[in-house]
Amino acid sequence: MWMEMSENTTGKSARVKILFFAKARELSGFKESEIVVPVLISFIELKDQVIEIFNLETIRDIVILAVNEEFVEPDAFLKLTEKDEIAVIPPLSGGTSFS
Amino acid sequence: MDEQYLLKEIASLKEKLREKEDNLAKLRFEKQILQGHGLNNGEIARYSRQILLPEIGVKGQLKLKNSSVLVVGVGGLGCPSALYLAGSGVGHIGIVDYDDIEITNLQRQLLFSSLDIGKSKVIAAKEILERLNDNIKITPYKLQIQSSNALEIIQHYDVILDATDNVATRYLLNDACVISGKPLISGSALQFEGQLTVYNYAGPCYRCIFPKPPPPEAVNNCSDSGVLGAVVGTIGVMQALQTIKVILKLPGILSGRLLIFDGMDMTFKNLKLRSKNQDCEVCGRNPTIQTLIDYEEFCGSKANDKHQNLKILTANERISVNEYNELSHTPLKPFILIDIRSNQEYEMCHLKNSINIPFSTLSSKGCLDALKKEINKNETDISNVYVLCRRGNDSQKAVRALKNYFTNSDIQVKDIIGGLHAWSHDIDPEFPIY
Repeated sequence: MWMEMSENTTGKSARVKILFFAKARELSGFKESEIVVPVLISFIELKDQVIEIFNLETIRDIVILAVNEEFVEPDAFLKLTEKDEIAVIPPLSGGTSFS
Repeated sequence: MDEQYLLKEIASLKEKLREKEDNLAKLRFEKQILQGHGLNNGEIARYSRQILLPEIGVKGQLKLKNSSVLVVGVGGLGCPSALYLAGSGVGHIGIVDYDDIEITNLQRQLLFSSLDIGKSKVIAAKEILERLNDNIKITPYKLQIQSSNALEIIQHYDVILDATDNVATRYLLNDACVISGKPLISGSALQFEGQLTVYNYAGPCYRCIFPKPPPPEAVNNCSDSGVLGAVVGTIGVMQALQTIKVILKLPGILSGRLLIFDGMDMTFKNLKLRSKNQDCEVCGRNPTIQTLIDYEEFCGSKANDKHQNLKILTANERISVNEYNELSHTPLKPFILIDIRSNQEYEMCHLKNSINIPFSTLSSKGCLDALKKEINKNETDISNVYVLCRRGNDSQKAVRALKNYFTNSDIQVKDIIGGLHAWSHDIDPEFPIY
């Protein structure tokens, strides 16, 4: 997954599966969806796209992303394929109620 | 015989019973025959089914006996984890909770029963756990764990369980465990989902994974979002399992891994987390947090689930339940009463003549347009809209949202102070509270 950019994949896109957990599920309205992203993409770009497309702004600073059940480091550069599965995971915990 | 009298009598009989049980336990304990390895015959028999496991044996059982575990939070997670830790023979279990038992706890906090309502959680839990296993020691702490007492309490224990329900305490326990060098078995659950991991055990800590606390608006809890007892129980039982494995130094511990349980799909995901973050503020190479900080300030939210009363609206934007009660009987002007709780809550109980528009949908344009139509289609002009929720907090936010929408109209939007709790308290004691 962690590969250097190569000529033949530059500019290509892939349709990947994306899974949502906890608050990300509630905000996006999905448990599971699909997203078309560049095959070569940095963690930051991927996160930006996921947050924008799925309405996750309120949890931007607290979500972690995993690709194929593996945590993605914030400085990572990814090479995705159509078989990959992205998971969007915020921490699960209670808090003060204001309702 | 009235209820109070019966309750009193039951309590005094229970006390007598407990005294006699203690005496019996003492008598039996004195008769116990201690074997050379350090377990007595009662312990050998009691724990035999797990001593039979090659991974445990007598040696492992002695390790459990000589270990101490602190369970922070005696709720949906802490009840099952404390039960299994006590059952397995962990020699000393500390339990921390400031709270008293409420009827809304009983669906998932199975250490407690109907007659315990109003009692201290830690005291009730201590009695049950000691009755389950009289070979072990239970230390109750009826207090809120915080920066001023956390390190002092934690130092007496080998392993700490985070079985709490709020973000501020999660960061507090994480930092306290890093500073004290203790493993932290962290569990959480909401609705049908659960998460489980082990922090500060030759791997990352909570801050390595989640350096920033969630904004208050991104946090849900059991009293608003709901949780199924068997889901939170599943995570609690697995916290006990992780703890036992940490004590026995068995392999396969969830350090650097996050287990995600989905009780709806019945799936477990086992996520590989990052390794320790070298730049982590508390466990990194140059930690900036070396003593405990103010975690409520850090998180911008309270470290308990006690409800707070928001003050968003001014006095003339609100009416009391008494005022509403009067005007609903003799309305001078026609009005609409909007109950903004969820559909499920509305189904549990609601006021006559109210319509249900959940807060989550209220601010959508489609919903507001439909509401406007509803108001305009009435022959008689509706000039008042009242907004109602459970406790009178969300209703204030809803009034703000509605006012932004009905800017150029004569419609007055107000909320009902204290919501349905106030209604039940002041107007109709037969109205259910949850």
